[in-house]
Amino acid sequence: MSLDKARYWLLALPALTIMIVFYIWPLVGILAISVTEPAVGFGNYAKLADSSAVQTSFIITFRVAAITTALCVLLGYIVAWSITNVTGRMTPLMIALLLLPFWVSVLIRSFSWIVLLGRSGVVNDALLGAGVIDAPLRLMHNEFGVIIAMVHVMLPFAVLPIMANMRGIDRAFTEAARGLGAGEWTAFRLVYLPQTMPGIISGALLVFVLSLGFYITPALLGGGRVLMVSEYITYQIQEFLNWGLGSALSVGLLIATAAVLAVAARFVNLRTALLERS
Amino acid sequence: MSDDFENRRDLAEIAATRYREGRLTRRGFLAAMTAMGILPAIGAGKANAAASELVIVNWGGKAAEVIKEVLADTYTAATGMKVFIDGSGPSAGRIRAMVESGAVVWDVCDSGAGSAIILGQGGYIQPIDYSVVDKTKVLEGTAYTHGVGNYVYSYVMASNPKLLGGNVPTSWQDVWNVKDFPGMRTFRKSVRGMLESATMAMGVPTQDVYAALDTEDGIDAAIAKFRALRENIIVWGSGSESQNLFLQEEVSIGNIWSTRAHLLKDQMDEGAFSVSFNGGVIAPGIWVVPNDNPAGTAEAMKFIAHGQDPALQVKWLELIGSGPINPAAAALVPEALKKWNPSSPENLVNQILYNDEWYAKNQISAEEKYIDALIN
Repeated sequence: MSLDKARYWLLALPALTIMIVFYIWPLVGILAISVTEPAVGFGNYAKLADSSAVQTSFIITFRVAAITTALCVLLGYIVAWSITNVTGRMTPLMIALLLLPFWVSVLIRSFSWIVLLGRSGVVNDALLGAGVIDAPLRLMHNEFGVIIAMVHVMLPFAVLPIMANMRGIDRAFTEAARGLGAGEWTAFRLVYLPQTMPGIISGALLVFVLSLGFYITPALLGGGRVLMVSEYITYQIQEFLNWGLGSALSVGLLIATAAVLAVAARFVNLRTALLERS
Repeated sequence: MSDDFENRRDLAEIAATRYREGRLTRRGFLAAMTAMGILPAIGAGKANAAASELVIVNWGGKAAEVIKEVLADTYTAATGMKVFIDGSGPSAGRIRAMVESGAVVWDVCDSGAGSAIILGQGGYIQPIDYSVVDKTKVLEGTAYTHGVGNYVYSYVMASNPKLLGGNVPTSWQDVWNVKDFPGMRTFRKSVRGMLESATMAMGVPTQDVYAALDTEDGIDAAIAKFRALRENIIVWGSGSESQNLFLQEEVSIGNIWSTRAHLLKDQMDEGAFSVSFNGGVIAPGIWVVPNDNPAGTAEAMKFIAHGQDPALQVKWLELIGSGPINPAAAALVPEALKKWNPSSPENLVNQILYNDEWYAKNQISAEEKYIDALIN
C-alpha cells in the first residue's frame, strides 16, 4: 500500500479501534451469548419464532414506532417550515426552544407526562373541573399515552434534519413556480415538497429507528400492557436471568431494524437522501 | 431464580427513600451503598471474617440496618460475639461461587426457600442443627433440612375504599368483578405470587390452589383469568411502582407486597387504604449457612436460634414491616399493628404458603403465557 494510503489508515486507526472495542466487540459478544446460552445452538431463535408473546411484542413495537414516526414527521415538518420561513429575528429563539428539551433528561420528561396524564393528573383535573367529562379519562398506561410521550421525545429528532434540508432550499424555485401561474398549494406540492424529501426521509428514518429501540418512555407509560421489545429484553435479562433469550431478542431487533433500512433503500436512494444536502 | 429475592432487594429501595426523607443516618446510607453490590463480598476488607466475628448477609439498605439493631447488637450484648452485617445480597450463585472457591467469608445468609433447596441439593450449605434451632419456633413448612425461616412477607389484596365508593373487596372473586368494584387493578409483572389469586378467583379453596395449579389446565385457566381482566390491569415491576400506583390513585385494587402496604398505610389518607390478607400468599425468608463458614457451625446455629426470640421479631415488624415467623410472636404484636402482621393467627388462617417447589417446576413456562395473556 502506498505511503499516503498507509498514513490515511493510521489517522483513522484510533477512531476505528474505539469503534471496534466499544461497539463491534460487545455486539459480537451478544451474538455469542445468544447461541451459547443455555445450550449451544439456535434454540433461542426457535423459541423466538414460536412464542406468540414475542411476535405480539414486535408487532406492538413496529406499530408504535410507525405511528410515532408519522406524527413526528407531520408535526416536525410544520415546525421546521415555520422556523425556516417565517421570521428573521425570532429564529434563534425558536431554535433554542426546540433544543431546550435536550437539556432535560428523558426520564424527567417521561415522568412529567405521568403527572400530566395520570388519573388525578393535570389534564384530567382540568377537564373534570371544566365539566367536559364526568369520570377521569384513561390517558396513560395504554398505547395512547405511550405515543403522546414518544412524539414529545422524538420531535426534535424529526425537526432537525428537515430543517437542515429546508435551509438549503432556494426560494427562487417556489417563487418562479408562482410566477408561472401555479397556485400556492400546487407550487408547494410540486416544487417545494419534493426538494424537502431527503430531509423528511432522514428525519423519518431517525425517528423510526430510535423508536424501535426506545425503552424508558414506553416502560413508564405503558403500564405493562404496551410491551415493546426493549422492555421484553430487559424482562428476560433482569427478571428471568435468561441471557440467552434476551440476547436473541436483541439480535432479532437489530435484524428487524436492518430490514427496515433495506426496505427503505429499495424505494429511496439512501446515499443521496442522507448524504447529499441539496 | 425461583427464589423471590426481589422482595429483599425492595427493602434496599425503601432504605434509599428513607435516607432522602432524613430517616436513615449517613452511616447507614453509606453501609447501604457498599451493600448495593459494587464491592464483591470476597476481598472487601470488612468482610474478612475472623473466627471472632460472625458475618450475617442480607440484601442491604434499611433491612441491613434493622437486622443490625434487632439481631446483631442484641446478640453481641447477650454473648459478646461481634457481629458484622454484610448487605451484598447472598444470591444462590454467589454462595455457590464462594463455597466452590474455598474462601467462605459468610456465616449466615438471608436467602429464600428456592435457593435453599437448590444449594442444599448441591451440597453447598449445611443442614440446620435442630437441637439448637427450635423447629417449633417457626411457622409450619418453613423449616427445611438446609434452611430455616427468619421472617415472612405476604402478597396481599390492597384496595382504596375511597375510589371504590366505600365498597371493599373481600375476596379475589371480588377483584375480578369489575362491575361492582370498578377501576384499575395492579398485579406484578411476573407470575410470582399472582397466579394463586387468579385460581382463587375461580372459586378454588385456598388449600387446593397449588394442587389445581399443578396441572397444565390449571395454569392455563389462571392465565385465562388474567386475559379476561387485562383491560383493567396495570402491572408493577418494583415495590416502589406498586406503592406509587396507589399513591397516585391510578388503581383501586392491587396484589402487592405486605411491606409496601405497611408503608402505604401511613402515607395514604384516612380511609383511603385497606388491606386484606384473605387469599394472601405468605412467603418466608430463609437463613442458610454455607459450608465451612468461618465462625463455625455452632456459632451460626446459636445466632439463628437467637433470632427466633419473639420479642425481637416484633421489633423487626415495627421497624420495617417484616412479619415475625415465630408463631408465639403474634400475641406480642401491639394492638395497632396486629392487622398488618402477615403471621397473626387471624391472617395466617386465610393465607397459603408460597410453594417454591411449584415455582421451580413451572415458573418459566408460566411467565411466557402470562406475558402473552397481558399483551396479546
